[in-house]
Amino acid sequence: MFCYNCGCSLSEHDFCTACGADVSLYKKIMQVSNMYYNEGLEKAGVRDLSGAINSLRQSLKFNKNNIEARNLLGLVYFEMGEAVAALSEWVISKNLRPEKNIADDYIDMIQSNASRLDTMNQTIKKYNQAYNYCVQGSKDLAVIQLKKVLSLNPRLIRAHQLLALLYIDSEQWEKAKKEVKKCLEIDRNNTLALRYLKEVDLMLNPDASGKPAVKRKNEDSVRYQSDNEIIIQPLNVKETKRSGVSTLLNIGLGMIIGLAAMFFLVLPGRIAEVKNEANAKIAEIGNQSDAKTATITELESQVKGLEAEINRVNRELEGYVGTDGTLSTIDTLLSTAASYLETKDAAAAGASLDEISAGIDVTQTSEAFQKLYNSLFTVVGSELAQTYYREGRAYYDSSKYAEAITSLTGAVYYDASNVDALYYLAQAYRKNKDTANAISTYQKVVELFPGTERATKSQEYINQLSK
Amino acid sequence: MINFEEELKKFHPSLEIEDAEEAIYNQDLTDMADLLVKMVKESKEKDEE
Repeated sequence: MFCYNCGCSLSEHDFCTACGADVSLYKKIMQVSNMYYNEGLEKAGVRDLSGAINSLRQSLKFNKNNIEARNLLGLVYFEMGEAVAALSEWVISKNLRPEKNIADDYIDMIQSNASRLDTMNQTIKKYNQAYNYCVQGSKDLAVIQLKKVLSLNPRLIRAHQLLALLYIDSEQWEKAKKEVKKCLEIDRNNTLALRYLKEVDLMLNPDASGKPAVKRKNEDSVRYQSDNEIIIQPLNVKETKRSGVSTLLNIGLGMIIGLAAMFFLVLPGRIAEVKNEANAKIAEIGNQSDAKTATITELESQVKGLEAEINRVNRELEGYVGTDGTLSTIDTLLSTAASYLETKDAAAAGASLDEISAGIDVTQTSEAFQKLYNSLFTVVGSELAQTYYREGRAYYDSSKYAEAITSLTGAVYYDASNVDALYYLAQAYRKNKDTANAISTYQKVVELFPGTERATKSQEYINQLSK
Repeated sequence: MINFEEELKKFHPSLEIEDAEEAIYNQDLTDMADLLVKMVKESKEKDEE
């Protein structure tokens, strides 16, 4: 500390030891300045920039030569985005103390980067333009401009404040709150920002504040925003007080009405639904029953058919098996073959073969059975045919036509290729006055042996008998 | 309730860099110490008279 009169260094005394000037008051002024500086420093340390500015200005009011206070004030201005104000303080500081002054560094920092300086200047110009838009009433343009400003210089507090004010005016409470919060992040105790925040909180949470809804421009309704919803409540509507009794009565009445509605509206429908379900079930069961009945009928007919088949097969089997349980037909055939081979008795073998063919259908037997039967028949048949033919001719010549028919029938049976046997059989029929058999036998001669003399003669007899 | 017009009056245009020089020159740097010195001088002059 130096004497204001002579400039000498002061001691602890209240007077200048060099010129004797009373410095007590002067010292106090210096002390107050320093005190304010300390206060400002403390506030700047906790980001109370507005408070720091006030304190530092007070400090400079007491002592303009408080370089530290001036430099700090410049720093605070710079932090708030007020580059020109900061530059002013640092320039003044440098002029007051040209040597060993940190303000040199601060000024160089700004002036060395021309693009940064230009950007700062642009943001200030845009901010001023936005302010003019607000004054003119072009609030939308002002908002757009301020957003540009803040994109270039996010620390410009007054731009945040003006933007918040515009949002508050357009009732965009959430956006206003965001801007105010950004402002408070930079300057914790900014009075304007705190006031705007209080207003916005009041609008966003009217219940929390306990105050009634705020009127807006003489409208008869209140409008406020809760989270993302805008709630409009008419002002003059008052809810009437209700006592508990009426509430209970209303509840009871409601229950009665509900029960009645259920009884008259819901219940019949439900009953009908249940009935329909039951009917549908019955119909389904009926259909199933019909289907099963049809199946049963079909199965019964199948059973009958199978029973008939079983009976037929059993009869057939009995024909094969016989009373002693063996396949008697095969046995008979084998016996016949063996007997003929021994005795060469064609008549007996023929009778036995006749007996076999009478008992069963030879064509339905096995291949081996048929082969044996046919072979035996062929061998025995030709001999038998000759015998029956001689016998039949003898009877015919003796005019014993009935006996001749019997013998010649056997001859034809055993040898169908014997045209004479067939012809004389027809003659026997004719002479025996059996015209029908005669004609049919003559026909056989004509069909089986065409172009022969017997066939010609037979045709003549046919023509004669047909007249 | 915040009145936009009233609040807007609290805002003013910001100083541009071109205006910085003029602002610095126009700044009044008189402080309490200067007032004290002036008061002491005036009282001395009165005493001499």
